[in-house]
Amino acid sequence: MSIKDTLYVLFIVCFMSLVSNILGTKATILESIPGLLILTVIALAGILMAKYLPGNIPSVAYVVTLGCILTYPAVPGSAIISAYVAKVGFVSLCTPLLAYAGVAIGKDLDDFAKSGWRIVVVACVVFIGTYIGSAIIAQAILKSLGQI
Amino acid sequence: MKNFKLHAIVLGLIVIAEMIGVHTFKVGVGTIVLLPMLFALLLGVLTTPKFLKISGKAEMLDASSLLGLTLMLLMARYGTLVGPTLPKIIAASPALLLQEFGNLGTIFIGIPIAVFLGLKREAIGAAHSVAREPNVALIGERYGLDSSEGRGVMGVYIAGTVFGTIFFGLMASVAASTLPFHPYALAMAAGVGSASMMTAAVGSLCAMFPEMAEQLAAFGAASNMLSGLDGLYMSIWLALPMAEWLYKKCYKIKYGEEPKKEEA
Repeated sequence: MSIKDTLYVLFIVCFMSLVSNILGTKATILESIPGLLILTVIALAGILMAKYLPGNIPSVAYVVTLGCILTYPAVPGSAIISAYVAKVGFVSLCTPLLAYAGVAIGKDLDDFAKSGWRIVVVACVVFIGTYIGSAIIAQAILKSLGQI
Repeated sequence: MKNFKLHAIVLGLIVIAEMIGVHTFKVGVGTIVLLPMLFALLLGVLTTPKFLKISGKAEMLDASSLLGLTLMLLMARYGTLVGPTLPKIIAASPALLLQEFGNLGTIFIGIPIAVFLGLKREAIGAAHSVAREPNVALIGERYGLDSSEGRGVMGVYIAGTVFGTIFFGLMASVAASTLPFHPYALAMAAGVGSASMMTAAVGSLCAMFPEMAEQLAAFGAASNMLSGLDGLYMSIWLALPMAEWLYKKCYKIKYGEEPKKEEA
């Protein structure tokens, strides 16, 4: 995807998120815009870094890391950035995303119907596996440190 | 890309979904949560040719080509959620850090069961992690959310969003009363990278061991912050390669041959 197209899509998503943020949180239009623009710039920077930096690291990693660094308390200006993005609700950012996903899923409905119940079973197994796996290691470590 | 009909449909979906709002139902020890995102997803499916025929083939194809990018704004927000917690994460004990590797446990149980149930590449999306937002974004970027892997990760993500708190709430109390784990270990394990799941699990534990409540909450929160930070990096460099490898092994055991090209 060209940079122009990327920018175009990012701004559309930014606009959609503005709508869901105004409706879904208590923030007003004017309160939401600076935070959303900051997030759009972070996203664009991350995408460009993944495109031009070596190492074949996914842009997700760059975007999350940039967001992390810019809001790390010791970084100059982080308090301002944190205050602006705090007006953008995490859950309301998911609404536009899943609206697009819903339309996109339409073409794979048969596949979904076929694998749906299996994925739900796997979801339960995944939750149990993650939890018990972590508990086993936590138990062993706490024991070896003498904390329990 | 410049499909205005698609964007108009999505705008409509967002408005309706946000108007419906958040609905929660108390069920026993936990809560079933229905967020606007779920309504947006269901309504989006309803617009497609199988149902209301509002969106056509062009809209469906364009929507799936945009999905990867739509995730990036969310990931930027995700990073800004983690950033302010970094000083606390750095101060966390090495015990918490090591415990993070437990999150890889899901692969060794999840992938074999998924393949055994007959899932193909969906298994990798579904079982490489606990499928929270960064994992969805990663799968979206690597394979596309409209791929088999994408279906897997989206399925577990949605299941976790709707039933996650009730599941973790129940699981923590069952584990505390039947398995030989110390409550501290169970509280630490609750930090899988989802604040609501962690809160539900720690909540159950606190109700059972009120005298430890403070320590349990601290362990849960610290471990959850850590998972939020390392979950993505772990998935990129450890969980996904491990899931790919184990998938091939399990596939061979179940079907007696290497996965075919489109299934590898």
